[in-house]
Amino acid sequence: MDLGAIFNLSTLMNTINTATIVVLAGLGCLMTDQAGMMCIGIDGMMTAGAFAAVIGSWLCSSWIMGLVFALAVGLLLGGFYGLFVIRYKSDEFIIGVALNIFAVAITTFLLRSIPGQSGSFHPATGAVVKLPSFSIAGSNVSIMVPLSWLLVALTWLLVYRTPLGFWLHASGEHPESLRSVGRSPERMKYLGSLACGLFCGLSGAYLSLGYLSTFTENMSASQGYVAVACVIFGRSNPVYVFLAALLFGFIDAAGQRMQGIVDPTLTATFPYIGTILMMVILAVRYTAMKKKRA
Amino acid sequence: MKQVRKQYLVSLGLSVLIAMLLGAALMLLTGHNPIEAYGIMFSGALGSMTDLGDTLYKSTQLAITGLATAVASQSGIFNVGGEGQMYLGALASAWLGALLKGTSPWLAIPACLCIAGLAGALWALIPALLKVKLKINEVITTILMNTIALKFCSYMSNGPLKTTERGINQGTQSISKAFRFASIDLFSGSNLTTAVVLIVFIILLVWYMMNRTTTGFEMKLTGQNESFARFSGLSAARLAVLGMLISGAMCGLLGMFETFGVQRRFRMDFSSEFYFDGMLVAMIMQYKPLGIVLMSFFFGILMTGGQRMQYIGVSSELVEIIQSFIIFLMAAESGLLGKVSRALTGGAAKKQEVKT
Amino acid sequence: MSQAETVISFRHITMAFPGVVANDDVSLDIRKGEVFALVGENGAGKSTLMKVLYGMNEPTEGEVWVRGQQVRHFSPANAIGMGIGMVHQHFMLVPSFTVAQNVVLGDEPRKGLFCDFAKARQTVEDLVKEYGLKVEPDDRIEDISVGLQQRVEILKALRRGADILILDEPTAVLTPQETDELFAVIRRIVAEKQMTIIIITHKLGEVMAISDRVGVMRAGKLVGVCETADVSERILASMMVGKEVLLDAIERADSGEDGVAIEVEGLRVRDSRGLEAVRGVSLTVRRGEILGIAGVEGNGQSELLEAITGLRPIESGRVSILGKRADGLSPKAIRALGLSHVPEDRIATGVSVKADVTDNLIVGKERRREFSALGIHMKRGPIREYAKKVFERFDIRAAGLDTAVGSMSGGNMQKVVVAREFSFDTPVLIISQPTRGVDIGAMDFIHQQIVEKRNAGCAILLVSADLDELYRLSDRMVTIYEGEITGEFKPEDIPKTEISYYMTGGRKEARA
Repeated sequence: MDLGAIFNLSTLMNTINTATIVVLAGLGCLMTDQAGMMCIGIDGMMTAGAFAAVIGSWLCSSWIMGLVFALAVGLLLGGFYGLFVIRYKSDEFIIGVALNIFAVAITTFLLRSIPGQSGSFHPATGAVVKLPSFSIAGSNVSIMVPLSWLLVALTWLLVYRTPLGFWLHASGEHPESLRSVGRSPERMKYLGSLACGLFCGLSGAYLSLGYLSTFTENMSASQGYVAVACVIFGRSNPVYVFLAALLFGFIDAAGQRMQGIVDPTLTATFPYIGTILMMVILAVRYTAMKKKRA
Repeated sequence: MKQVRKQYLVSLGLSVLIAMLLGAALMLLTGHNPIEAYGIMFSGALGSMTDLGDTLYKSTQLAITGLATAVASQSGIFNVGGEGQMYLGALASAWLGALLKGTSPWLAIPACLCIAGLAGALWALIPALLKVKLKINEVITTILMNTIALKFCSYMSNGPLKTTERGINQGTQSISKAFRFASIDLFSGSNLTTAVVLIVFIILLVWYMMNRTTTGFEMKLTGQNESFARFSGLSAARLAVLGMLISGAMCGLLGMFETFGVQRRFRMDFSSEFYFDGMLVAMIMQYKPLGIVLMSFFFGILMTGGQRMQYIGVSSELVEIIQSFIIFLMAAESGLLGKVSRALTGGAAKKQEVKT
Repeated sequence: MSQAETVISFRHITMAFPGVVANDDVSLDIRKGEVFALVGENGAGKSTLMKVLYGMNEPTEGEVWVRGQQVRHFSPANAIGMGIGMVHQHFMLVPSFTVAQNVVLGDEPRKGLFCDFAKARQTVEDLVKEYGLKVEPDDRIEDISVGLQQRVEILKALRRGADILILDEPTAVLTPQETDELFAVIRRIVAEKQMTIIIITHKLGEVMAISDRVGVMRAGKLVGVCETADVSERILASMMVGKEVLLDAIERADSGEDGVAIEVEGLRVRDSRGLEAVRGVSLTVRRGEILGIAGVEGNGQSELLEAITGLRPIESGRVSILGKRADGLSPKAIRALGLSHVPEDRIATGVSVKADVTDNLIVGKERRREFSALGIHMKRGPIREYAKKVFERFDIRAAGLDTAVGSMSGGNMQKVVVAREFSFDTPVLIISQPTRGVDIGAMDFIHQQIVEKRNAGCAILLVSADLDELYRLSDRMVTIYEGEITGEFKPEDIPKTEISYYMTGGRKEARA
């Protein structure tokens, strides 16, 4: 096997493209994780965001409106998640899973209802405006890619350098300590949920408008769950989450390059297997560490 | 206790009603007539023996997947991976079925049942072990393993196990006639096959296990309070794994029933996320076996009839939307409907208690 | 002192929660610059009243005045604004943050958008200098001792400009040296900064040592306020309990059973954080004997019992139950040797709150021949009958056998635990905090049951935070301090005041 065939520019580009989807969603999940909630529902928020982006872009013939639609839907679902988990104290996994099923169902339903299409959304060419992109070394790169890097840096600053970030973390680790100094942990948790929705909206917009300009049913393909795994693996540190997402992206891209040797349907399982292995490695190391400490 | 149960039923009823109203609103928004649509839904589900057959087919499917979720959840582990377990069960049995072609059905069918159950159980064993040994969140692993299983099945059924029959361009070799679950004359034209007998048997068996056996009792305690179970001398980890194994085996078996019944071969599109529908039913009924069976019939009607709504342009996804609405409404029970249902069941007495 | 101005005035405070009235028409004035001790038994309403002052509870009725102004809006933020600080019994610190981060939490110094770490550190160092409370600003909370964590809490309040400081059970988690240091700090800040301190406690010795005045609460009411100099511990104690509740002595009998039933040798156990909690404990319990372990909570008692019953791994040492090795066995195998266990935390480990009374009573017996056919099919009739019998014998008060245990009172829940464990009829019983949060009637009943078990020849190892309980039940007592046994006594030979000396690190001369 020729390694050069795997490690080349196009693999790099594919790595980055896939990683961008995961890292944006991962940042969203991280915001809830910091606030002590594990939002499994990001997969659904991404799907809904992707759908809203396409519709917005199609209706207004503008990618900006696509982005606005996606962010708005993300915000709505983030608030919805927060309402149930924080206010009604519902089980976060049940709400997350239900949210994912709901998102797939409602987007499919609307897709079939409004434009009268099914399976995927494909209006006349050019009707849906893609997100802007630029070209590097002959490859097309969406502006969302550098934006996601910027967001990783900003999130890191937020979490580790600003009072707001401390409050967010405190609301997850020890909410009463925050309450006793006169700040509401619930407000922080809502903030985390809403931010989660926004990030997932971005991720969704990138999914449907980044390189394609279509929405297909169940578009997120469980990448939201991969993002959750990356957050666990990256211990909620934006930089580590980013690296974990890159690793996922790389396995995905390398798998695609191996399609000549291995069947493409099989290589498509690699990133998922890789994600599970990643979680296993982390857990094994953690148990070993605990034993050592004891 | 009775008061609580009554309150629960009232809020469930209210949730179903509100969810259906929301569904109606959604139809109005998308330019459909909800009364007509719901009319078609119910007549499409119960209007003829064929329809009824389809409804029963769907209901038993929901009940078995719902119970599969419940078995795992009651022992403290959340199986979101039933879809993958079902596909692997279906594929494994289709493979063995083709291999045993020409042998006696008395040998082949039990063998295929075994391998289907085993495939599902083994696939479920992985996340279960990861959960109890390494504390890895099973929701994420099971979901990811769904994708892996489906892609693997797609590869196998389009590659090594692809049918060689002429004129058929997808799926594995067809299951020989002698092995198939036949359709039932009374419900001719429907998807209901004799496999329903086995499904009902499994449902009863699982219900019995969960409610009347020591193991079921111990599993339930483990799910309710793991450290209490350990304290009482139960092997909590082993019981959780057992719950997951049973859950996986049930899903694997359902895969085989589909393959040897309606589909007559393994086809990649045999399930449109059956498992998730059953899982939602189980979540709505808080993993109570009897409730799941009853609710399955109700959703069997909605889903079968929902298919008919497509004739007037209403997507069948509406049913899943209604289902998730019910979950949201029930999840918010304490805040949204709690007050109403308490009032309806005479919760005033409770208030006085508070004052003293 | 008596002419000092009033800073806080509670006027007819009533605080009702669903089912309980925690404060009942309490009126109290606190003077500027005094150390005021608020004493009372568990559940007397001390913490509730202070949480009203700190804005965490809004009183059902009544008014609070601070420095002549009525409090209109009850919230911690408002209380902080009025110069009130509170050090909670369970610290309000974020474990993964540093000392400095915790001190400034909620009101961080900023440089633009960002937190100004240098300034935060400087703030802590200034406070350390000003008040003489030594802490390292960059240490993480999870890495420092409980005593230091408490200092961080105090610094946090001081930084917010508090001149009224509420300390809720501040010494409960402290070693004697740490307590002395805390008191020195309190004296200093009162003398130098004219601060007002309210200290909640139920340790009367500390009240005498540190306070100027003392208020006694009982069952939600303030029963008296005195100058500390005018009262004695004895007087306070009688005020706290009201009429002394005298429990009848329980009849003891010799069962004739003898022989060592529990034998522990050189046991070492680590706690959940990986620190050594039990350091070489050896003890024996004979049949027909109750051995009481006395100690301040958190000195390794919990870990000791968990290790004996197989719930926690053992580092080194040996445990034998009825002559058979038990260390390294699973909880199941240890129970099979003939042991049952009433755990310290009934809700976390003693019951399933979601299950009904019958289920909770049958756990562990479901595979017995009389309750299941072939150990598989559960016989509902016999199970119900058995549950009913136990239910009546242990006088459990609930609507019925199908009541969810979670909806029952603490006392009845505890009776369910005791009923289940005692009816295993094992020769060895491990009992922890048998009557915590239990009303006096249920307490007496449970005590009777324990002694009855002893009289029938059981070997009982009893851990309790309640000295009276230990004195009432034990045949023999040992004291435990920081994971080591510090002395062994007969209850009749040693007064309570003396035993607490051993519980806090005093050591008995080595016995032959």
